[in-house]
Amino acid sequence: MGGLKRAMRSKTGKAWLTKLLAGAGGLLAASISLGYTLYERRQADVVPQVEVATPVDAGRWKVSFAGSALAKEMPNGAKISPGKKAIVVSMMLENLSAQSSNLYGSLIKPTNLPDTPKPQYYLSRDRAILWDLQPRMPEAVTAVWEVPANVALPDVLRLRVEGEFFKPRDNLYNAPGWFPLGTVAEIALPLDGETSETKP
Amino acid sequence: MIPAVLGAAALLAALQATTPPYATLTGPISTVGRQSDTVSSDTFSVKINRVLKAKSIAYKQFGRAVDLQSSGVWVAVSAELQAFQKTVPVRAATLIGSSGRMYRQSRRAGDAPNVLSTKTVQPGLPTTGLLVFELPEDELRNMKLVLSEQYDPQLKDEISVSLETIETAPQARLEIRKDGV
Repeated sequence: MGGLKRAMRSKTGKAWLTKLLAGAGGLLAASISLGYTLYERRQADVVPQVEVATPVDAGRWKVSFAGSALAKEMPNGAKISPGKKAIVVSMMLENLSAQSSNLYGSLIKPTNLPDTPKPQYYLSRDRAILWDLQPRMPEAVTAVWEVPANVALPDVLRLRVEGEFFKPRDNLYNAPGWFPLGTVAEIALPLDGETSETKP
Repeated sequence: MIPAVLGAAALLAALQATTPPYATLTGPISTVGRQSDTVSSDTFSVKINRVLKAKSIAYKQFGRAVDLQSSGVWVAVSAELQAFQKTVPVRAATLIGSSGRMYRQSRRAGDAPNVLSTKTVQPGLPTTGLLVFELPEDELRNMKLVLSEQYDPQLKDEISVSLETIETAPQARLEIRKDGV
């Protein structure tokens, strides 16, 4: 009888110790996670602010902004969709990767416009829709967002440049690829008046 | 016991290190050749006729004159394609420049007449046409032309042809007509 009691006591002691360890482990994990989140938040706060005409290296793309405006027509001469207005951002864009690519859709994102889709890009040289950008051949391009006409526009358009980095071997297929890096730069462009985008 | 375990571990590590990646296992079936030859894969073949370079290209689209400038050079490759067993649409063409960068055929010139990417190659009907590329001038040495049905082919034929370097300076303007260049 006494032996059984002792065994029971040691068993409860063990269970108690396990619970204690599990609790401590959980607390440790939570605090590491919290610390990491705080660290990331602090890192995210120090996104460099760039000026107009400053080249930004976003890994796959190099971009330098020229300015933004409200357009009367699309850069290729087409009409703006009824009930919409068009915000145009002109920039120099260069493909830094080793392959022709048209995957610049998520490179820039306005932060102070309500839910904008991916912009449509136009090649200034041809006044036509931009397709592939060839490596080492920077081009003057314009990105266009069409927003509903009743949206109140800010005086200053804030843009975020999203970076990408190259992995020679990815974790899934062991194949080369580009992966998101997060915001690499931010820029504020004054959005003044109606300007028709008629550049040569 | 310990030598056996170590031996097995070494063997497994060697096997793992030499396993070809998925991309290689499911990659293209390559055929390599030179510009002077007709290069044939199992499904289609290519014969390069001419390689021209120009500062600008011009053509007519719906009766409207189109003139395309470039910060680099336009390269127009005139080629003859043949399909063997079944219809082969050769949609993907890439020029690998001297730096190793890959320049896909230009979509800017995609509406030009006689462009091969808009044609479909039927068996028994040799099809000639143009492939138009835009690339920086210093990429023009030791170029390689890579053709396949689609970009990044998987377990499908891909023909790569090494092109001879053109020593002459690019012409100022290249007119693309319905019957070629």
